Amino acid sequence: MTDTAAPSGQAYVVPHHPVRDFLTGSVASIGITFILVLAVGLFWAGPKFLSFGNISIIGTFLIVPLIVGAFAGFALLSGVVDLSIGSMVGFSSALFALLLSLGWDPWSATAVTLVLCLAFGAINATAIVGFGAEPIAATLGMLVALRGITWVLLGPQGNIFAFNIDLFNLVSTTVFGLPLFFLLAIALTLLATLVVTRTRLGRHVQAVGGDDKAAARAGISVRRVRVAALLLSAFGAGIGGIIFAGQLGSAARATGVGLEFQIYAALMIGGYSILRGGVGNPVGGALGLLAVAGVSNILDLQAISPYYVNIIVGLLLLAAVLLDRLRGGDAFE
Amino acid sequence: MSADQALETAPPAAPVKVRFGGSLGTGLMLVAVWAALIVATTLHRPDFFTAQTLLAVAFTMSIVGVLAIGQGIIGMSGGFIDLSQPAGLITASLVAVRLSEAGLPFPVVILGAILTGMVWGGFNALIIVFARLNPVIVTLATNFIGLAALYLVFQQAQVPLGSDIYSFGRATWLGLPAIFWPMLALVLIVGYLVPRTRYGRRMIAVGGNRAAAKARGISLKVTRFATFIVAGGFVGFAAVLFAGTAGPFNPSSASPIQLNIIAGVILAGISLSGGRGNFWMLLLSVGFLSTIPTSLVFFGLSSDTQSIFQGIILIIAVSIDGYRALRRTP
Repeated sequence: MTDTAAPSGQAYVVPHHPVRDFLTGSVASIGITFILVLAVGLFWAGPKFLSFGNISIIGTFLIVPLIVGAFAGFALLSGVVDLSIGSMVGFSSALFALLLSLGWDPWSATAVTLVLCLAFGAINATAIVGFGAEPIAATLGMLVALRGITWVLLGPQGNIFAFNIDLFNLVSTTVFGLPLFFLLAIALTLLATLVVTRTRLGRHVQAVGGDDKAAARAGISVRRVRVAALLLSAFGAGIGGIIFAGQLGSAARATGVGLEFQIYAALMIGGYSILRGGVGNPVGGALGLLAVAGVSNILDLQAISPYYVNIIVGLLLLAAVLLDRLRGGDAFE
Repeated sequence: MSADQALETAPPAAPVKVRFGGSLGTGLMLVAVWAALIVATTLHRPDFFTAQTLLAVAFTMSIVGVLAIGQGIIGMSGGFIDLSQPAGLITASLVAVRLSEAGLPFPVVILGAILTGMVWGGFNALIIVFARLNPVIVTLATNFIGLAALYLVFQQAQVPLGSDIYSFGRATWLGLPAIFWPMLALVLIVGYLVPRTRYGRRMIAVGGNRAAAKARGISLKVTRFATFIVAGGFVGFAAVLFAGTAGPFNPSSASPIQLNIIAGVILAGISLSGGRGNFWMLLLSVGFLSTIPTSLVFFGLSSDTQSIFQGIILIIAVSIDGYRALRRTP
């Protein structure tokens, strides 16, 4: 009744205005936010903010969130949110470290870890797609269950030391002064963007997330797309955990705790939505992660209490969802 | 007014029957699994079935139970989930600590905590109603902001030893912890009032079908404010129990309880998408969930395995909930 019919009516003629579409789109607003963060950083922290050393620190810290976020974005796009990714990262790093400490070679340890992560992803998919469970609640259950499994794997000491020099060297390789895996994570983000925007699979994922009934009528298998998206999300978290273990040379109880909220807050700032599918894309999500990491780095350089980061992230999150709603997203009531 | 009366005087017979049948089924299932857990543990270790265990279970139930009432109100009215309960609980607990440090009488401490919780709930509702944003995201953000702000204010707090609230947290009454009785009373009262009063029915109506409720003249905005403020009041009261029983606490101390509360609400059959549920079932679901930790200890399993069971139970519960909904809507 009080529907804002006019703006949403205009949104459908947007293909005639590609420039306006881009400027009012989610990538543009997170792009502007990102540039603002860079500007604040340069003015406040000085040139050292953009020095190779500093970017490399941010980059190293961002490798795991970028990879996990790129894969988890597929689940968000298809309209299901996977809250278990943080615990999945913890589980994956604990299992991988445990296998290494038992003398396995890294490749078979990686394979077994990823297969088990996919199995847990399949449980998520069975509950959500098979039984129609509420994604937030079901994956919250998986979050807790995996946390418990991780703690059992880690044993009473609460951590497993599994340093592998080859793996550590691989993970800390730098190219042009930047971490190789950071560049790979950026490349992965760009690849995911291509998949989302340029391939049939990507369009199917967006269609299912945008309106699953319409997608089903158009002959897309909604169930298959959502199962695939949840498996991808678990797979990405598995890879993230293995890289984490490689970076740290150990796994601990705190690994990955709360990571899901940090990643989803950044992804939502970047234009994704955890409540409706079909919006956002990997570039926006990555810019969201970069912007949040930039803010936390600026506060770090200025020796300001890190708690302000969460306050800023919370405010940015509210601003981002408000922007999303003004752009035509679902209003609550 | 006439629309109001139409809603309240003539509740359609069929939904009431379905709701009764639904909660009866949920109740029987909960009693069955709870009894199975108790019997299995007692067979394994006969010394499980003692007053000591009862004390531990009743103690665990108390805080979770009161918070679950708040979460249930949010869920039943269509607000889905309040993820900001930890921040609200700690804020109200801090107020309780500061008030009792100032030497104020116990009723003032309780009132202060409840009011703080209500203000916190009202603050959430303010953003939800005026920015028209989904409660899940708003409370996720306010929890982020709230916990960070709390860390800027304090690192650790504790109620003064020997104060009224301190002795209340440690007292027992009729063989059970004193904090258990207010929880029991509140669940019974809320469970009795919600389906039988005008306000309770309005809340269920909004949660069940917003458009229909609005067409009948129920203000969605007022309902949203009312539910969040009342739910905040329960968070505030839970803070009294929390501050009284917890030793020194820090801003993240309440975060681990969050999942138990959500699991309890879902297991009780209170639909997170709104409009369905019976608050009395919370006693069974929260009781069952609170027995698990003690039971695991008697089975000789480490406390780490507790999360595994809680997580699996939650996944199964929401799967059953989802499956029922799928069958209802062909």
